[in-house]
Amino acid sequence: MSPSQIIRGRGCSPGEFEGEVVVSLQPFGFWQGIDPRTGIVIDRRHDLCGTSLCNKAFVFPYGRGSTGTPGIFLEAVKNGCAPAAIVNVKSEPMIVACALLAEAFFKVSIPIVDGLAADYRDLLRTGDRVRISGASGIIEVVSGG
Amino acid sequence: MHLTDEEQGILDGAFGEPQRIALNVLVKLGQAYGADRLVEIASAHVVGSSYQIAGEAGIAIYTQLVEEGARVKVRTTSDPGSIDFARWRQFKTPGEYAERQIKIAELLDRMGVIPTWTCTPYTTFNVPRFGEDLGWSESSAVVFANSVIGARTNRLAAYVDLCAALVGRVPRFGLHVPECRRGEVAFELTPDLSANFEDHYFPALGYLVGQVTGDRISVILGVRRATFDQLKAFGAAAAASGSVALYHMVGITPEARTVDEALGGRQPSERHVVGTREVRETMAQMSTGQDGPVDVVGVGCPHASIDQIRRYAMLLQGKRVHTGVELWICANTVVEEMSRKMGYLETIEQAGAKLMVGTCHNDCPLGPWGFRRLVTDSGKFAYYTPTTVGTECIFASTEACFEAAITGRVDRR
Repeated sequence: MSPSQIIRGRGCSPGEFEGEVVVSLQPFGFWQGIDPRTGIVIDRRHDLCGTSLCNKAFVFPYGRGSTGTPGIFLEAVKNGCAPAAIVNVKSEPMIVACALLAEAFFKVSIPIVDGLAADYRDLLRTGDRVRISGASGIIEVVSGG
Repeated sequence: MHLTDEEQGILDGAFGEPQRIALNVLVKLGQAYGADRLVEIASAHVVGSSYQIAGEAGIAIYTQLVEEGARVKVRTTSDPGSIDFARWRQFKTPGEYAERQIKIAELLDRMGVIPTWTCTPYTTFNVPRFGEDLGWSESSAVVFANSVIGARTNRLAAYVDLCAALVGRVPRFGLHVPECRRGEVAFELTPDLSANFEDHYFPALGYLVGQVTGDRISVILGVRRATFDQLKAFGAAAAASGSVALYHMVGITPEARTVDEALGGRQPSERHVVGTREVRETMAQMSTGQDGPVDVVGVGCPHASIDQIRRYAMLLQGKRVHTGVELWICANTVVEEMSRKMGYLETIEQAGAKLMVGTCHNDCPLGPWGFRRLVTDSGKFAYYTPTTVGTECIFASTEACFEAAITGRVDRR
C-alpha cells in the first residue's frame, strides 16, 4: 500500500482522529456487542470477538440493532474505552446519535465518516495508521499496518 | 435546515441549558440525514429507563439534566426498568443493582416522565393517533405505532428520545415524510399458509421478514385476520431480527387498505413467496437449543395484555408448574392490577407461576438463577435471550410454552 492514500467520504460527525484502525467486514451492534468497561468486543458471533476497540478508529459496514445502542456506547465513553472514530459504508442514525450524545454530555468528539466503498478490504486494514477529519469526511492512510 | 424563531431561541439558550443541549443534538442529527425542519411531536417514549441500558453514564446524564431543571415538554412514558420494583428480591436481583435502577426512577420522575415501565405504552397512557408525529424509541413500540396505528416515528436512539421529549420536537426525515413510508419488499403467503395461519406463525413470520428486509419496509399479502396481540408479536419479532420500524399488512394495517396503497403505486423492488415450509424453517432457526428439560419459561414479550393474561390463566387452571421450573409472565402494572381484580392473578400464582411486572427476562439480571434452557413464544426473546440471559432458547407456541412449564420438558415433535 502506498503511503498517504486519501479516501473521501461523507462527514457525519465532526472531530479529528489520528491513530490505528480496526477493520471488520461484518455489521456491528454495540448493545450486547462490547463490554463498556474495557471496550473489548464480546459478541461471540462476531469476527472481532476479543478485540479491543478502545481509542481505535472502528471500520465496519453499518450498525445493527437496538435503540439502546447509545446506552452501552456512552458507558464506554464515560469509561474512556469507546472507539475514538467510526468509519462506515452507511452510518445509521443510531450510530451518529452516539457521537452527538458523547459530544453533548461528555465533551468527547468522535468523528464519523460514511460513504466508504462497499468493498473496502483493500482500502483499510487492521493496524493501518490513519488521520480522519469528521468535518470534511477525509481519511488519510498514513502508513500500512 | 429551517428553524422557527422559537427553535432558534432554544438553541441560543433562552429556554435553559437542557433544552439547548437537546435541540442541538436533534438539529445535528437532522442535518446529517437531510431534514428540512423540525416537527412537533404528540408524545415521547424513552428506552433509557432501564439501568441495563442507561448504566452509570445514563445516571450522570439524567443527574446533570435534573440539576439544570429539565422537564419534559410533551407526554413521555418510560420503557421497562431492569427490576420488578415490588418483587426484585423474589427475582434474586442484587440490592446494589436495584438501588441504581431506583435512582434512575427518581431522576426520570423529577423530569416528569410517566412511570409506565412498559414496552407497550400504546395500550394505556400513551396512545397515538393516526398520522401523529412521535418521538419514540423501543423498537417493538416504534413498529407498532407506525404500522398498526399509522402514527409517524423514526426509531430514536436512547437519550435522543429524551432530547425529543425535552423540546417536544424531532427532525423531519425518514418515516415522518409520507413518501418514505411506501413498502419496498413484498412477501406473498402461499394459499395453503394463508388458509392455515396459526397464532405462533405471527412471531415466526415477523422474524423471517426482519431477517430478509433489515431496515427496508415490507408489504405482507395473504394474512386474512390478525388480533392486536398477534400484530404486536409480529412487529416485535421483525424489529428484533431486522431493524424494522414499519411494515404494511394488506387489508389489516391502516396505510395498506390495498396493495397499491401499501406500495405507493409502485412495483416492489423484491418479491418473496412464503409457504409453511419457510415459516417452519424460520422457527427452527429461532431455537438455539435442543428438546429436553426446561428451567425457565418466558411469555409476555412484548408485555402481556389482559386478553393474553386471561388465556394464560385458562391454560394454568387446575395445573401446577413443574418443580424446578420458573414460569414468568411479563406485564405492566395496569395489567397486573386488572388481572388481580379479575381473579387471573390468583389462578396464575396458585399454579406456581409468577407475574414479572415492569421489566422482563431480557432487562433483568438473571445470573443468580443459573438458567440453562429457556422456552418462549416471543420472537424478540428468541433473538435476544441467548445473549442477555445466556441460555439456550427454544421458540414454541404459547400452548407449548405452558405445556413445557407444566411437564418440565420441551418436546416439539
